[in-house]
Amino acid sequence: MISRRHLLTLAAVSALLPLSAQAQSTEKATAFVKSTGDRLVAVVNGPGSPASKRSTMSQILNADVDVDAIGRFCLGRFWRQATPEQQKQYLALFHEVLVTNITSKLGEYQGVTFSMGRAKPQDEEVVVSTTVVRPNNPPTAVDWIISNPTSDPKIIDVVAEGTSLRLTQRQDYASYLAHNGNNVDALIAAMKNQVSQSG
Amino acid sequence: MRPAVFPRRSFFGTPRFAAFLALVLFGMAGCATKPPADDPDAVADYQQTNDPLEPTNRVFYAINNGLDTVILRPAALAYRWAVPGPVRTGVHNVLANIGLPIQFANDALEGKPRRAGDTTMRLLINTTAGVFGIFDVATKWGYPDHDSDFGMTMALWGAPEGPFLFLPVLGPSNPRDAVGFGMDIALDPFTWIGTGPNHPGWTAFKWTRTGLNAIDSRERVLDALDQIKKTALDPYATFRSLYRQHRRAQIEDLRNDNRATVPVWFPQPAAASAK
Repeated sequence: MISRRHLLTLAAVSALLPLSAQAQSTEKATAFVKSTGDRLVAVVNGPGSPASKRSTMSQILNADVDVDAIGRFCLGRFWRQATPEQQKQYLALFHEVLVTNITSKLGEYQGVTFSMGRAKPQDEEVVVSTTVVRPNNPPTAVDWIISNPTSDPKIIDVVAEGTSLRLTQRQDYASYLAHNGNNVDALIAAMKNQVSQSG
Repeated sequence: MRPAVFPRRSFFGTPRFAAFLALVLFGMAGCATKPPADDPDAVADYQQTNDPLEPTNRVFYAINNGLDTVILRPAALAYRWAVPGPVRTGVHNVLANIGLPIQFANDALEGKPRRAGDTTMRLLINTTAGVFGIFDVATKWGYPDHDSDFGMTMALWGAPEGPFLFLPVLGPSNPRDAVGFGMDIALDPFTWIGTGPNHPGWTAFKWTRTGLNAIDSRERVLDALDQIKKTALDPYATFRSLYRQHRRAQIEDLRNDNRATVPVWFPQPAAASAK
């Protein structure tokens, strides 16, 4: 028989359990952001040609960022309407565009440093706050949204001063599609053009 | 000191000009065509975008963009080229310091005593120890800067933002922020000092301030705007999205700033939460 005291202990422990799981997930997410951030800063401030920086950057992005999930989010309702072939083409281009956009900003971020802030759970994800400091610029508040913090942490959004990278991108694509007959092929063509232009 | 992605005050900032803008706007307002009701996804998109004046807004975006390309951006580039970084920072600090009375008025109207206190201390410290505001000493002494304007004040009071507007010269906005812009001018003591033709000194000061403000704000977002125009498929839609998100975040910060107003020397546990 389980005594009442045991029951109470059990209740107390089970009440604490989700809390400790939460603490664990925020801790892991913080450590993950710290390690990714350190590597990104090392690339930005380190030596090396733009081409080599681009390839290292691309490796970090593919390892630590859930680019496919972000890509699907950015296409919004058009993801379901797209054919499997369109989806494949789109995601491949999305990877390219993301790497290009980020590497083209590297020059601006020379001398960048960051400090870790708080982490708090939000739905299934964890939001890790950091402060990014660039020379001659006011400090910027940057939040990193981390999915599956305990099992397989990945970045699924970056929010700078309240502006979400993926939401902004989604609204850009949505507007482009709205003005081009809701045609996913038109979007794919525009993205191809973007990638080829930036070389 | 926060990166102002969108220059809030620019030239032609008189209430009369704002009234003229309103007339022009509503006079030539074209309307976006609503999607058919049998396409719920498209209707949801339309409502979420909340930009019923999109065709008119895009016309003004194109005009602003043209003016920016030939006037403001080259001016900002020249400013960056000619003036060393530390001097530009000093100029920015002086301009920010001159704007503190407006900020204080809004802090008070928002009922945020701690923010109003920060602003007061910033004005006192930076005007004296910071030599007329050139050096931002107050931030180092524990009185950080924050954003505050009448658009945010009205948001806190519960006024809805309304549909998106792209205003000539002023750029991305909404009815609430457009009214806020006019109110901030009215709240500015310098609007009421040295008016009339007999004060050439004040007139020169005001025009210099307005011009420098425009160039300073533009210089600070040179790289960011170039980047957006290069990478966005639809820069107008991207600016619309960024503007809204940025404003919402500013208002959210304001709403959540409930720091207690307890002097640090006052022996109370609440003092621990004071910075």
